[in-house]
Amino acid sequence: MKKGIRNIIRIGITYFIVIVSLVFFIFPILWIIYCSFRTQSSIFTGEIISPVKEYTLENYETILSVTDFITYFINSFQIAIIVTFLSLIFSILAAYGLSRFTIRGKNVIILGIFSTQMFPKVLLIIPLYLIIFSFKLLDTVMGVVFGQLILVLPFSIWMLKGYFDNIPNDIDASAKIDGCNILQTLFYIILPIAAPGIMVAAFFSFVVSWGDYLIVSIVNQSQRTATLTLVIQRLSSALLIRWGQVAAATTLTIVPTIILFSFVQKRLVEGLTAGALKE
Amino acid sequence: MMKIKETTRGILLILPAIIVISIFTVYPLIEGIRISFTNKHFLKEEDQYIGFNNYTDLIDDEVFWLSLYHSIILTTVVVLLQFVFGLILAWAMKQKVPGMSVFKSIIMTSWVIPVAATVIMFKFMAQPDIGFINIFLKLLGFKDLNKYWFGDINTAFPFIVILHLWRNIPFYGIAFLAAMQAVPTSYYDAACIDGANAWQKFRHVTLPGIRNMIVVMVTIHVLWTFNNFDFVYLATGGGPVNTTDVLPVYVYRKCWTSYSLGPGASMGTIMYIILMVYFIIYIKIYERKEKT
Repeated sequence: MKKGIRNIIRIGITYFIVIVSLVFFIFPILWIIYCSFRTQSSIFTGEIISPVKEYTLENYETILSVTDFITYFINSFQIAIIVTFLSLIFSILAAYGLSRFTIRGKNVIILGIFSTQMFPKVLLIIPLYLIIFSFKLLDTVMGVVFGQLILVLPFSIWMLKGYFDNIPNDIDASAKIDGCNILQTLFYIILPIAAPGIMVAAFFSFVVSWGDYLIVSIVNQSQRTATLTLVIQRLSSALLIRWGQVAAATTLTIVPTIILFSFVQKRLVEGLTAGALKE
Repeated sequence: MMKIKETTRGILLILPAIIVISIFTVYPLIEGIRISFTNKHFLKEEDQYIGFNNYTDLIDDEVFWLSLYHSIILTTVVVLLQFVFGLILAWAMKQKVPGMSVFKSIIMTSWVIPVAATVIMFKFMAQPDIGFINIFLKLLGFKDLNKYWFGDINTAFPFIVILHLWRNIPFYGIAFLAAMQAVPTSYYDAACIDGANAWQKFRHVTLPGIRNMIVVMVTIHVLWTFNNFDFVYLATGGGPVNTTDVLPVYVYRKCWTSYSLGPGASMGTIMYIILMVYFIIYIKIYERKEKT
């Protein structure tokens, strides 16, 4: 009997936490999506629900036709894809090297890579700006890409190394006996096994690049490299803010990451914490 | 064909990443520290070595001290609250009740959307009259509280804390949950036999079991929070009247609004020193615990 009551209390507390969490973590997202379908005047009434005729696609039409939103969307996409691709190449090779080979001073290298996480990015961007300037990469896609690489690479290497460490060494050994060289072993044998981890690393790079504001804000000078984060920031700090349009632009910015997230969702934590969960 | 030594192969694999990190991270750090000893200005070609002048100037800079204070408070409060709420969330997600798997699959959404979008969502909700927070308060009868929550000197800072919590608590929760599930059930059974109650089980089985994860999560979030620039810059820019100013934002303003790179770099260097001291202390503690 006593156990039954305890159980009910436990379930009650659990659902209480679940409901509070949903309201706090999910509601703000739903609210801005909801308001992106309302007219400016209906948002300004300060009511939660408006008459049916106040719901509209007008905000999206305006954003997509009047502004260069599509250009910015393509910029964001292009930059994020290149960052993801490059960071995967660099971090897969490095993580595999660190995971499988006896290298003198390996622990120092690993600690060194991890400790770059504590370099203040606002300090790094001062010389970074000058480097990008001297390479003549200001206001170019590659300028943004190289800047953003430093945001993702250290964590990506650390994460993938954790993932590779969990794959038994015997697999490499048997591939070697079958006559595979290192790169063949890595690409034909190890990568397919590590595919979930690679997906998470790719997702991480994409999301960081897609959401970056700091690097873009210093490299960007024109429409050529303006990304969605810059644009929604500008829209939302205008003198007269059109909240319906801001909501629509914000929705279009967050939806791609949410769609990608739904694909990797199950693997995400496993991948992100692979480095922490071993041992 | 020449046989390449094992070590050399390993080094060849990590070399590309090391080169990229050296050019775009290590060199900028060293160069940044060098600039902190110069009077480098954005619009001027040359710079001169001026010793510790930028640093001594900081002693009289009130905004610097205020920003430093805010940065430390913000990092401490945010990481502490994230840790506690993360544990609570992980506990709830460990319960086997209907609907939990759906909940677990959507709860980390806040972590994947761009910070700029998060800030807009909260700025929108915090708007006077039309923001959801104020609409909701009005429904509850607190009409007098109607205000722009990021624009009030008393509530701006707590709202910056909320932004951080909103983004990261689910990540903590899911990570702690993963670690909890890796604790062998036999440990709990053994604790049961010893007559341990729920709190004792948590204290003596769960916490030690997920210690590694706690250490990793807290460490990276101290670094990330202390270095975080986007939340404050995009939400308040440091205002109102510097009540939310933190070091990264002040450094950014110094460099890209006032164009004085020297003083900006000197503050950035101080940030680096603080984090390095934290990192060294943490490694020392970690090593000592490892031994015992």
